[in-house]
Amino acid sequence: MSPEIHLGAVGPTLLVGVGAMLVLVAEVMLSGRESFLGRRVTGAWLGSMLAVISSFFLILALIVAWQTFVVGSAQVFNPSHPMVRLDRLASFSIALIALGSLLSCWLSVGYLAELRINHGEYYALLLLATSGMMLLVSATDLIMIFLGIEIMSIPIYVLAGFDRRKLRSNESALKYFLVGSFASALLLYGMALLYGATGHTDLAGIATGFDVSNPLAAMGLGLVLVGFTFKISSVPFHQWTPDVYEGAPTSVTAYMSVTVKVAAFAALLRLLVEAFGDAPPALGTILTVLAALTLVVGNFVAVVQDNVKRMLAYSSIAHAGYLLIGFVAATPEAYSAVLFYLLAYVFMNLGAFGVIVALAHRGQDTDRIDDFAGLASSRPGLAALMTLFMVALAGIPGTGGFVAKFLVFKAAVNEGVIGLTILGVLTSVVSVYYYLRLPVAMYMREPGGEVPRREIASGEGIVLAVCAVVVLVLGLFPNNAPIFLFSWIRALDWTRDSVAMLF
Amino acid sequence: MGVSNLLSWVTFLPGLAAVALLALHAVARGSGGGGLPDAAWRAAGLGATLLAFLGSLLLWAGFDAGAPGFQFVEYAPWLPSFGVHYFVGIDGISLLLVLLTTFLMPLVLLTSGRDIKRSVPSWVFFMLLLETGMLGAFVSLNLFQFYVFWEVMLIPMYFIIGVWGGQRRVYAAIKFFLYTMLGSLLMLVAILALYYLNSQQFGSFTFDLVAVPGAAARGLLDTQVPVSGAPWWQTQAWLFAAFFLAFGIKVPMVPFHTWLPDAHVEAPTAGSVILAGVLLKMGTYGFVRFSLPLFPEATVQFAPLVFGLALIGILYGALVAMVQKDVKKLVAYSSVAHLGFVMLGMFALNAEGLEGSILQMVNHGLSTGALFLLVGMLYERRHTRQIADFGGIAKPMPVFAAIFGIVTMSSIGLPMLNGFVGEFLILVGAFEAAPIVAVFATLGVILAAVYMLWMYRRVMFGPLDNPENRGLIDLDALEKGVLVAVLIPIFWIGVYPSTFLRVLHPSVKELAARFERAEPAEEPAQATAWLPPLEVGAEGPGGPRP
Repeated sequence: MSPEIHLGAVGPTLLVGVGAMLVLVAEVMLSGRESFLGRRVTGAWLGSMLAVISSFFLILALIVAWQTFVVGSAQVFNPSHPMVRLDRLASFSIALIALGSLLSCWLSVGYLAELRINHGEYYALLLLATSGMMLLVSATDLIMIFLGIEIMSIPIYVLAGFDRRKLRSNESALKYFLVGSFASALLLYGMALLYGATGHTDLAGIATGFDVSNPLAAMGLGLVLVGFTFKISSVPFHQWTPDVYEGAPTSVTAYMSVTVKVAAFAALLRLLVEAFGDAPPALGTILTVLAALTLVVGNFVAVVQDNVKRMLAYSSIAHAGYLLIGFVAATPEAYSAVLFYLLAYVFMNLGAFGVIVALAHRGQDTDRIDDFAGLASSRPGLAALMTLFMVALAGIPGTGGFVAKFLVFKAAVNEGVIGLTILGVLTSVVSVYYYLRLPVAMYMREPGGEVPRREIASGEGIVLAVCAVVVLVLGLFPNNAPIFLFSWIRALDWTRDSVAMLF
Repeated sequence: MGVSNLLSWVTFLPGLAAVALLALHAVARGSGGGGLPDAAWRAAGLGATLLAFLGSLLLWAGFDAGAPGFQFVEYAPWLPSFGVHYFVGIDGISLLLVLLTTFLMPLVLLTSGRDIKRSVPSWVFFMLLLETGMLGAFVSLNLFQFYVFWEVMLIPMYFIIGVWGGQRRVYAAIKFFLYTMLGSLLMLVAILALYYLNSQQFGSFTFDLVAVPGAAARGLLDTQVPVSGAPWWQTQAWLFAAFFLAFGIKVPMVPFHTWLPDAHVEAPTAGSVILAGVLLKMGTYGFVRFSLPLFPEATVQFAPLVFGLALIGILYGALVAMVQKDVKKLVAYSSVAHLGFVMLGMFALNAEGLEGSILQMVNHGLSTGALFLLVGMLYERRHTRQIADFGGIAKPMPVFAAIFGIVTMSSIGLPMLNGFVGEFLILVGAFEAAPIVAVFATLGVILAAVYMLWMYRRVMFGPLDNPENRGLIDLDALEKGVLVAVLIPIFWIGVYPSTFLRVLHPSVKELAARFERAEPAEEPAQATAWLPPLEVGAEGPGGPRP
């Protein structure tokens, strides 16, 4: 008897995976030719062609995921042996990941050409990593979670080193690879221990068999947590983040900084709710300590950075801390706040990196804070956008970043997590200092040296505009905007519905 | 009134104008030009602020001074599932501050034509945005909405100081931002706690300050904030402290005042005027509107502390102002002293003190605003603000000296000018509450006269021995016009304050009633005829007090 299989449960994952293969084939077919359909094949044309193919599959995956989300019923790949489930949490995260990947894809075209690294594998690797993330967020089994993490990570190791002539990029790839493999090993070890202690690899089974007094189980949970803290770059396993973010090509940094975060946090959410739902109190304490350390280290170390990419790396560590506050509160309200936070984070962070991408010039990144001096007079549009994204990341009202922080703090206060909330609030003040350094440089200092001048590629322009609009809409009208064009956006309802099924 | 949604129009008109101008600017740039010309920006900005002023005059005209509660109320859902609504309305207190804001804005935009030459479009844009932020904070009756406006206001002010300011502008701008942010984020946590307390008590979620007719939710003002247990563990004390930090930094109260001299001195003239005139009032307004009515028991409990800090502010501000060599810095420190008076009157928690304190907010906005304008005019001519560089200025600039003199007197509190009325009421109120403190505060009035008059003498009189001062040109028509416009309300409040006190009565009476049992009120002050009697409780159910 053949098992009952629902391919729809892995629909987006498959689509994007197939897209990756097709991109590879298309690259091979096209790159050797002089002309195709009457057009001369140049590097730039090929790059945009492959980006178009990738976008097609990402949009397809986005539509499928969104359709699933709207319908709302969960699809299980193999009901007799549930390992993958496309429920609302999964479809929401998949849609978000697809959107993030799509925007990164458009961000890459001009940038890769500028850095003369526009090889076709880039898009294939990007799609492959994306499909791994999609698998990860819909996995309900430790083995699938591990598979998802690996399919996600390995292409990103390669992408981080994509600018292979640059030493920094090589260093970034190597460091990410070594630390990442180490984390994967720990994760796998933890999973093995959990299996040994409970006799299950599926999350529901672990939930029934988990007993915290069993040292094997406790250690397994601990090691799995360690594996995840690597991926979400939370203290104390955050050290790779600044080096990798700084060394990797900026378009890759933009991509990984948002999508990996969404995937890892969504998977962690599912893991903690489904497998460790009635968690031992110690788990709450551990998460509290992690969140506190992450907030303090991320925000304080970001203050002294002189490289914008590095500063944003520490800022992303800090944001992991704010997200962890939601995990400490651990209510449906808190988890939907976490999802909203991720939603806003995708757009504000992509926007911030997008500006750095748009400033890349003559094969070089413009990424020192000093490079931004006087930018307001030479590139007023980019300076204004960068200011918006910085203000959003700092959590000033009127932007999505504020609503996100507000929701997390609100959920935390409701659960009585006051101390951590106050720490989050105080470190936010610190964060304002470093986020404002860019506006200070751009508006209040005179330009020093050469002004980077490159026409904005159309892809970059679209991405920046989309990010800016979404950041503002999420900040002003997260639900039911009274503006016709945006009235369909109901981010608060979506995030609430996404977690509602888990409880 | 004829215009519906008048309050929203007044609030959002400047902001909308800013966005519309920006869009036009972008279109003009796109079609090959260099964007809108600076003159167009200035004219449009001035037009928008004048319209807002006109609108607020209409509000004043339509305001029913006898009616308690909020007027011109508008209510619309925003994020209804969280109890976040668009909820605006004004009472007498907010009306006066709205008037002050819309009155000062066109004046500073007019004068800024002289000293702001760089990036004019951004300047006008940020000024307009700032006005909407300030007005929004004054009219908000939903705490979430208030918080949004309160914070949004920071960004334009940050740029105004940081881009167009003086030598140490970046330092001053960041310091200003961080100080305010620190207090206000803790206030956000307190607001959230209040929100959950309210929902526990009434079973519904709302950030509205007062209940809206027809809505199921009760306003946050109805919340009973627990006061049981030791003082250090009372919820109300903690929440009060969080609000106190936010508002106290903005006022600024003494230990938190260090951002003020930097910000005021480094800001361009227009920025200083708005900072002193309106932004500081944000803090005192916050106390009157939120802290006092929300946490009455904690207010009474903390009142001695606030009294102490206010007194220190009055004396310390005056003494530090006395030794300043820079005129602008002197004016900045005088603000610390004046705001100390405002806090003193407020925490006297009786009708006289409260009313004087609110009137003094307006007075300080006018007098200190005018002082900053005058200092700015002098600075434009001489490019120095050192007192030592001046002397005998009255000879080449007689009109300037005369107006400076009047404003100085108003700041000191000379009778017939606005400062006197406010300070008198505050001292009456404070004397009722704590006579000793009032006595010491009176010392502050004397000190104010010392540092202001001393500065005036050193700048205006004496030998005209600095040759660079000989060629100074007196005020031109525009400058005279702007200053005379400020002098009108200065005299008006001084001579006939009841025009303005009248609108305050119902709100102040209601507020003071919350503290009555703590303060066995005496017969209202032996008011002179031109001060309308303050009938606290006289119309209450208990009949007139003995």
